[in-house]
Amino acid sequence: MTPNLVTIDWLVLAPVLAPALGALVVLLADALAPRARGAHLVIALMALGAGLGALPYAVTTATPARTLCLTGPQARCFYESGPWGLGLQALALGGALLVLLMLGPGTRHLDRAQRGGPAVTVALVLTATAGAVMVPAARDLPAWLVAIELATLPAVALVALSRGRGAEGGALALLMVALTSFAFLAVGVSLWLLATGDATFATDTLRTAFDDPARHRALLLAILFLLAGLGFKLSAVPFHMWTPQAFVVADEPVAAFLATVSKAAALGAAIVMLAPLIALNAADDPRAQSIRLVLGVLAVASMTLGNVVALRADDPVRLLAWSTIAQAGWVLLPLAMLTPTAVSASVAYLLAYAVGTLAVFAVAAAVHSASEGAGERSLTAYAGLARRSPLLALVLGLGLLTLAGLPPAVIGVVAKVVALQPVVAAGQWWLVAAAVVNIVVGIAVYLRWLLVVIRPGEAAGATRVPVRLDPGLRVALALLASALLVLSLAPGLLIGFVR
Amino acid sequence: MGLILTALLLPALVGSVLILGAHRLPARAAGGLALLASAGALVATIAAIGTGARIAREWIPELGFTWIFFSDQISAPLLLLTAGITLLVVVHGLRHRPAGGPAGLYFGLILLIDCGALATFWTGDLIVFFIAFEVVLVPMWVLIHRFGDAHDPGARREAAIRFVLFTALGSSLMLAGILTLVSASDSSAMGSILSSGLSSDTQMVAAGLLVLGLAVKVPIFPLHSWLPPAHTIAPTGGSVLLAAILLKMGTYGLIRLPMALTPDGFARVAPVLAMFGVVGIVWGALVCLVERDLKRLIAYSSVAHMGFVALALGTNSALGLQAALVANVAHGLISALLFFVVGGLKERWGSVDLGQLRPALRETWPALGFALMVGLAGSLALPGLASFWGEFLAITAAWQPPPSPAGLPAAGGLLEQVGWFAYVPPGPVSAGLLRGLAVLAALGAVLAAAYSLRVARLVWMGDPAPRDRDGDATGTELFVIVVLVVAIVVLGLLPYLVYPGSSVMVAGL
Repeated sequence: MTPNLVTIDWLVLAPVLAPALGALVVLLADALAPRARGAHLVIALMALGAGLGALPYAVTTATPARTLCLTGPQARCFYESGPWGLGLQALALGGALLVLLMLGPGTRHLDRAQRGGPAVTVALVLTATAGAVMVPAARDLPAWLVAIELATLPAVALVALSRGRGAEGGALALLMVALTSFAFLAVGVSLWLLATGDATFATDTLRTAFDDPARHRALLLAILFLLAGLGFKLSAVPFHMWTPQAFVVADEPVAAFLATVSKAAALGAAIVMLAPLIALNAADDPRAQSIRLVLGVLAVASMTLGNVVALRADDPVRLLAWSTIAQAGWVLLPLAMLTPTAVSASVAYLLAYAVGTLAVFAVAAAVHSASEGAGERSLTAYAGLARRSPLLALVLGLGLLTLAGLPPAVIGVVAKVVALQPVVAAGQWWLVAAAVVNIVVGIAVYLRWLLVVIRPGEAAGATRVPVRLDPGLRVALALLASALLVLSLAPGLLIGFVR
Repeated sequence: MGLILTALLLPALVGSVLILGAHRLPARAAGGLALLASAGALVATIAAIGTGARIAREWIPELGFTWIFFSDQISAPLLLLTAGITLLVVVHGLRHRPAGGPAGLYFGLILLIDCGALATFWTGDLIVFFIAFEVVLVPMWVLIHRFGDAHDPGARREAAIRFVLFTALGSSLMLAGILTLVSASDSSAMGSILSSGLSSDTQMVAAGLLVLGLAVKVPIFPLHSWLPPAHTIAPTGGSVLLAAILLKMGTYGLIRLPMALTPDGFARVAPVLAMFGVVGIVWGALVCLVERDLKRLIAYSSVAHMGFVALALGTNSALGLQAALVANVAHGLISALLFFVVGGLKERWGSVDLGQLRPALRETWPALGFALMVGLAGSLALPGLASFWGEFLAITAAWQPPPSPAGLPAAGGLLEQVGWFAYVPPGPVSAGLLRGLAVLAALGAVLAAAYSLRVARLVWMGDPAPRDRDGDATGTELFVIVVLVVAIVVLGLLPYLVYPGSSVMVAGL
């Protein structure tokens, strides 16, 4: 019997394969039976559900779950998913599921359908999700790079197919950013290859390169290039400008996709790249000082600029775009400590943020009628929402308070605590000071929105009839509301998941 | 164990139900439910304290966060104060509910604040303390914003958001201090932090952050600027809750966190705390001498009274701790009485501008006038009333030079059991400084007499006028007033009810 070159555990790979296969099946079904428009959504939900269902298998087999392993003495695996990776994969799959429910492609009730038809929408969402699920598990440079692009490009198409005016312009901005960031990543990857001589993100080769003064500089440069490339994907300042441009023209669910699933891919990519460095004890190494500094500056700049601009935004989606930039700063904040605890803190924060953001986007999709496009949305549409629709107001309130980090959304408070703890433990007081100020500014941002919701006055917007909710949106709202409530009562579920 | 949960969950659940169903529930049903919930919470609190109920279990083991709830001699009086004052506010709201929204919303918010404050006083875990501390923010924000002074929506919005942002800044600083402690000891339970032997540097950093953060909530001069607008704009019930309960969370935090957990660090910060406390005493009293708005005047007098608590804590002595505990509860009762009365006057007069000439209160509405006089007498710390002991002991504690460690018996004697934690008397703080502060604080007490009498002269005294029986205190108000006056007098005569240890100390004087 000839030994296999590579061992494969298909079930460990299932979270990636399920959405990818789902996309193929949807396209096939569309070609074979163009009239069965309702089937696409069902297939997609089943594919994403199968992916989510396969995650527990990876948890139970081993930590981390590995596959695509080379046989031989130097057994190295190209697919590896530990606790934080599983957290991000769950976020990507769950987020895509909720976004699809909100979009409801092919359902009869909807006038939200994107241009291009349901099959295209569903296939694009599934493909991007497959990429996003692959990124945190990829351990070799080419697969990592391809997965990042796989997660990005379909999202560009989703923006382009949105109904709003100027969608093509927003998509173009996004595409330019995708290309620029790809250029940065490509240069970074080649520098990495040059410095380490290894096409994988492995600790041992990194250590050799790190300790060799000649190669050390090339390695630092590689990491900085990679960080810049990922900064675009994460919407970190100064690589953020595409975010409001793309968000306001995209359909609300598509913007939600960019704000959550794409961010899971971006953070996953960053952690994959930083993980070998963290394993080297870079937290205390003065030679990694510049990397910590760059990450810290990115974090502070993002949260500060994002919050300050969000304070002035009147379009709720534009506000959410700047809030995404600010929250990207919060995600980067613990990561800048380069400790193992910081990684799980960062992922836990992203998970809490994603649940809150999805809830807010779902309410925005319900409140803003399909006719309202870019430039026509305003916070006044929420006036008196607490009276018109207490349940919508409840979901929105919980979502906004999660983002602000205030009870009763305890999950948001715990996320802030978890994100701040590694920074305090490392004694980085300038970062702590910036974070404390930004907690306060952030509260002002989200309470400004909430203020409109609880305002008693019958403003002009309050007279409009309550929006008829599509069934998919209803399910998404119910899922998100119960997720926020359960996580607020037992935040340990989320924290324990990524540790 | 179940009793504590009942005390916490009952107001939280009923409050949430009331808020969600605010537009469907009739006002009477909402009021009745709120009355039942707050009374139930009071009964459960009394029973839990009486039986010494205690909860200790893990919450998020990955991070070392725990559910620890218990009561001791420090928290029990504040728990009773919280549950009792909330009940009075609900009773008062049955008849005197402010306009601005449905009854369910008003009572629901009050119950949520009740739950947050009770949890703050019950918990023995730092992270839960922080979360409970924040629970009161959003309900109080909505309460001020929706139900505040109807005359000026702009001022209402401004006061409400200023309250939230200032308090959030304080609690974020406190969080940084808490995380310093948690990181150093890998657990957020107060007991395990106490026994983890923190280094002197850690203690210093943590104590500094904690004191700074909590000083916003107390509030201590110059971080008090959120308090006057919030207290002035808030509806009567909101002002009472702010003054009687929310400020106590700050001083309780000072005792429970920096003083108990980082004694070495606190010993170094304490003189600064005492200094700013005394500045607050004098500053608050001076403002009160010229302030025209009676509600704002009461708010500034709170700054002065909390200054006494800060001075007492700043002496970092056992006597000072006792003074702070008594002064805390006394101020809770007296400020509640004053805000109930002044809020009632504002309802009747439309404004409480002291520059406006009005018929003498003792002639027209003698019951309200009597209540106001008791409140003012309490404010000037008249012997025989609750506030006397707190301020008298605070000045005494500052005047007496703290015992130097060398003068005390051997190490075993250094540990004095205060409640459940071992409170270590600190090294010598500058005795001269404290004496100077004691003199200034005494001066502040004199000023308090001056402004109290000024208010009495302007509002209570005056020319004879016909009595207005219908306008005087309603039955509900009378009930609230009588309960509070009785509590103030009883506590003035028997201060050791609040803190058993203080009887020993007073006897020793």
